[in-house]
Amino acid sequence: MPEESRLSKEAFLFMAESAGIDVTGEHVDELFSIVQATLAGLDSLKEIDVTDAEPDMSFAPDGA
Amino acid sequence: MDPLEICYMSAGQLSGLIQSKEISPVEVIDAHLARIDATEPILNSFITLLPDEARAAARRAEADIRAGKYRGPLHGIPVGLKDLFNTAGVRTTSGSKIFDNFIPAEDCTVATKFRQAGSILLGKLNMHQFAYGPTGENPDYGHMHNPWDPELVTGGSSGGSGSATVAGQCTITTGSDTGGSVRIPAALCGIVGLKPTYGLVSRHGLTPLSWSLDHPGPMVRTVEDAALTMNVIAGHDSKDVASAKVDIPDYTTALTGDVKGLRIGVPEEYFEAPLDPNVGQAVRDALDLLESMGAEVKPVSFPMFKDAFPISTAILMAEASAFHRDLLAKDADKLYPPIRLRLEAGLFISSADYLRAQQARTLFDRQTRQLLEDVDLLAGPTEPVTAPKILAARVQAGETSLGTTPALTQYTRPYNITGMPAISIPCGFSDAGLPYALQLAGRPFDELTVLRAAHAYEQATDWHKRRPPI
Repeated sequence: MPEESRLSKEAFLFMAESAGIDVTGEHVDELFSIVQATLAGLDSLKEIDVTDAEPDMSFAPDGA
Repeated sequence: MDPLEICYMSAGQLSGLIQSKEISPVEVIDAHLARIDATEPILNSFITLLPDEARAAARRAEADIRAGKYRGPLHGIPVGLKDLFNTAGVRTTSGSKIFDNFIPAEDCTVATKFRQAGSILLGKLNMHQFAYGPTGENPDYGHMHNPWDPELVTGGSSGGSGSATVAGQCTITTGSDTGGSVRIPAALCGIVGLKPTYGLVSRHGLTPLSWSLDHPGPMVRTVEDAALTMNVIAGHDSKDVASAKVDIPDYTTALTGDVKGLRIGVPEEYFEAPLDPNVGQAVRDALDLLESMGAEVKPVSFPMFKDAFPISTAILMAEASAFHRDLLAKDADKLYPPIRLRLEAGLFISSADYLRAQQARTLFDRQTRQLLEDVDLLAGPTEPVTAPKILAARVQAGETSLGTTPALTQYTRPYNITGMPAISIPCGFSDAGLPYALQLAGRPFDELTVLRAAHAYEQATDWHKRRPPI
């Protein structure tokens, strides 16, 4: 479990239900844990200074 | 001719014998089908085998060649396709029983090109379910097993392609590489895996995992076979929106054996990351050899290497969940639980996080391109460890214990982010007899330089000639 939670359990359950995920299933606690860990892992993206970088949505390298 | 020797010939070797009619495609296919019969109970490389269709195709190829209609180096060569490459009239499961009865009406572009070249499809290869994992786990069709030690993973997601190729079940196989799924099983099985530049090989007719990270590519036993395969499957395809309009060279022209003057950069950060010291030493030995052959090998700094994991995680998970959203709504309980959890977790990645990852991707790409202004190639390990045990949650890389997925994708993800070509080739074996691998990456669409260096190294060593004890 990450040290800092970006998402409360209540918010998680609300979002999960909104996304059509069965929140009555046995796997929900495990999913909550994975979501927490995933979002915590993405926190390092905040440390990258992206000020001058637009998202490159063409994906293809030059020459394509 | 000894059937086992036929199974271990490269496409380059077989093609000469087939063209000169010293060996028939029927003999080639029969040898491979016998090899599959003998090894498949252990390896589980295939989801669908096509013995009758393959024998019929071999007889047609034999008749055509006798009639003077030789189509080229892949005519009569046995091929296996990862089971997410659509094949007309042949079920394509994407590694899930949900699609156990899905029979595509048309071939994917890669399958069409193989057919046009006269290659013979032996079957559809096992894979990590929906290509969403780097180990080769599949409860629906059975886990894949590494021919060097069946208790170990093949690597994934194209695990059946790795095991089939190194065990002599197929001469050429294909994989798709989103975070390393061609190069990881190539490294852990001890074969050659090429992830071509994004857009160079059509994705049309492949089940996507992540639209902006997916790269189809060849998995073979020699660099020459990678070049021969690229000569067939590379090229623009109007059916793929990301397909590149570039001139396609003859990739075999790269196979000169000469690396004099080639500048190879070695990111210092690759050796500061968790890494089995024996793997690291094997890679340094390989680079020393390339230097002794005339390449200029020098350290470079790649500070954003550490950012590859969060960038590709955000993009891959968001895109995979978007693609599979309908499947999740309908059949979540039929998915392999770890895949279901990953797909559901991806729904929690916000658009802001996804776009921030794409912004970071721009910077990551810019830094990698700057590195490749001073050198021709970037080199390092493909994998930080040898093949782990099947279902192992963690691996030990040097003094660090880390999750199997981040470990196995540590060195491969960067080149999915940038779309640059990257190849994995064998560069040694552990005391336990497990393969080590060297990864070489180049500038966009410069497969020639990647193949040139890989081939020169391969020709100076014997690693690719070793056979697994199966």
